[in-house]
Amino acid sequence: MIGIFLSHAYKRMTRSVSFEKEMATTVFLGLITIMAVVYALLLGLALEKILEKSLGVSDSVSFLNGLLLYYFTSEFLIRYFMQNLPVLEVQPYLHLPIRKSAIVHFLLGKSLVHILNVFVFLLFLPFALSVVVRDYGIVNALSWILSIWLFSLSVHFIMILFKKKLDDTLWGLATIVLVFGLFAAADYFGWFKLSEVSAALFNLTVTWSLFPVVLFLVLAGLYYGLYSYFLSSFYPEDLSVSKEKSFVHSSDLTILKRFGIMGGWINVELKLILRNKRTRTILVLGALLLLYGLIFYPEETYTETMPGFLVFVGIFITGIFMINYGQFLFSWQGGHYDFTLTQPVSMRQYVESKYWLISSVTIACFLLSIPYVYFGWRFLFLHLACTLFNIGINSFIIMNMAMWDPKKVDLTRSSAFNYQGVGAAQWLMGFPILLSPYIFYLPLSYLGYSNFGLVAVGLAGLIGFTMHPYLIDFTTRRLIKKKYLMASNFRSE
Amino acid sequence: MIVIDTLRKEYKGTPVVDIDSLSIGQGEGFGLVGNNGAGKTTLFRLILDLIKPTHGEVMIEGKDVKGNDEWKKFVGSYLDENFLISYLTPDEYFKFVGTLHGHQDADLITVLSQFEELFNGEITGKKKYIKDLSKGNLKKVGIAAAFIGNPQVVVLDEPFENLDPTSQIRLKSLLKKEKQEKKLTYLISSHDLNHVTEICDRIVILEKGKVIKDLRGQNLLSELESYFKA
Repeated sequence: MIGIFLSHAYKRMTRSVSFEKEMATTVFLGLITIMAVVYALLLGLALEKILEKSLGVSDSVSFLNGLLLYYFTSEFLIRYFMQNLPVLEVQPYLHLPIRKSAIVHFLLGKSLVHILNVFVFLLFLPFALSVVVRDYGIVNALSWILSIWLFSLSVHFIMILFKKKLDDTLWGLATIVLVFGLFAAADYFGWFKLSEVSAALFNLTVTWSLFPVVLFLVLAGLYYGLYSYFLSSFYPEDLSVSKEKSFVHSSDLTILKRFGIMGGWINVELKLILRNKRTRTILVLGALLLLYGLIFYPEETYTETMPGFLVFVGIFITGIFMINYGQFLFSWQGGHYDFTLTQPVSMRQYVESKYWLISSVTIACFLLSIPYVYFGWRFLFLHLACTLFNIGINSFIIMNMAMWDPKKVDLTRSSAFNYQGVGAAQWLMGFPILLSPYIFYLPLSYLGYSNFGLVAVGLAGLIGFTMHPYLIDFTTRRLIKKKYLMASNFRSE
Repeated sequence: MIVIDTLRKEYKGTPVVDIDSLSIGQGEGFGLVGNNGAGKTTLFRLILDLIKPTHGEVMIEGKDVKGNDEWKKFVGSYLDENFLISYLTPDEYFKFVGTLHGHQDADLITVLSQFEELFNGEITGKKKYIKDLSKGNLKKVGIAAAFIGNPQVVVLDEPFENLDPTSQIRLKSLLKKEKQEKKLTYLISSHDLNHVTEICDRIVILEKGKVIKDLRGQNLLSELESYFKA
């Protein structure tokens, strides 16, 4: 049975329409994973040296034990972002004569196949084999590493439970804030020290040989709890990622009515952004990145010695929404592309509405970034130049690149580490956007006139902006040329 | 009204639609039947310029639909859920479609009032997004939107599928009325031979993309039944 499930899962992956198209994404994620594995292994191999030689810790095992709870705290956070709920497409199996328990076991078992579940071996096995064996003997060393692994697996199942029950609710957020707040407060007020609790807990692994057994029982208990929970709520509507049912009221922006059909389109798109999780996250991210400058602007190392780097920061602060949202500019509305094509809409108005939407958000970002004047007027000047460049040139780069083999975006799925709809274009799009201002900036800054470089960036943007009717015409022509391809892409899942 | 000329659409060398000539006159109730994979939806998509023909053209009012937006003002259509904006409420959606057709609010109310019976109080005035509607209600929203803008032609793919019997009857009487009063032309595909014969005065059977039979007049149902029995 498990073999059949596995073969179905494999076929589902390789036979999906987007499999080949999303190759670039898969390769990229693969490389990131390999990198993480190599770094973890290197850190694991060097752990003994770091602790005993560099930090000069005498009892390195106890010291490391004191850090383990911090490690698991961060593992919890990493898992929160990287680990998805085990949602096998169970619906096609439910009506067949297959025992439900087999499906649940498969679901939970499959969720264990994850790089994070062997991460502790990469990090701690070398240390266990060298130091723990030396200090406590082979049996205790095995007990130590085994306990750590069992603990990590318990975190794995706790995460599934957490995501299933509490994710996306106020309670979930409150729980996290409360638990971490408690730890921080405890450390601060000296009620107890997390490091001492951690040391006491994991020292048990080498002093009490039954400890791994206890941990195993905890793990088995968690597994059984999840198993019965899944079994009892085994209906498609329970298993699928819960749909957002809540109704968010958002009325039309009346000012947009003055812009006729174009305003209508912008109104519809604003609703798209506000009513869907993935787009809302982009909005929040844009707001957070407004603070990006706080990292660089107060530091003289950046402002004095690397003025060229600031152009990058300026483009990012004023254009992050444009970049993030714009990479899927047409894909967001892919679900109703056939609608767009059959309504009496001029494609030019459609493109124009998109242009003004991303440009106005960019201008809004600029206005919100004005308080950076506190660090000096030059930053206002920098942001102005970057804003002009973003709306005059980058907006058109984005609009035209977003037409490159776009795929429909599933709006209902959440956004963290969601690579659905990401193709080669999305990975490559960042380069021209972030590099193109330097075409205007670098020649002048090399000659020693970095301020004139900024003027050149702003001027280029201004020229692009004054030419926007022609650039919109050009973009519209390309969109019309590509409409059949895009329509058929959006129709396939 | 609609003229199809040597229209062919191939996917990887296999023809999906292959029609020498077909013309549909004003005020005609045109029914399209055929077994699965006959090319009904593909033909509708070709008529609506949603896919590019391999060869030939579709003309509406004498103009090629390709590279031309004029026809969109008087052709209403609903083929599938790609015609709906899932994150809007039905009210917002109707209003937006109305804006695109230059409708005032009052015009929209007149159009939608005809659908009040069909909506059965479940569509308008509800705080529910289109994505949360049931299949049948999605269809009702799409069909109603196709009638916004006083269309002269309406293209509907499987309009009776997923509709409850009451709605089926109401939709049929609505189509008949529009045809009689406004000389509306409609193109409808269906697997239900009873429905199409009831509201269409011309029925075309499609098989492997080709027009096999072009039937008019009386006894449509028995002719169709004898064809599909074989």
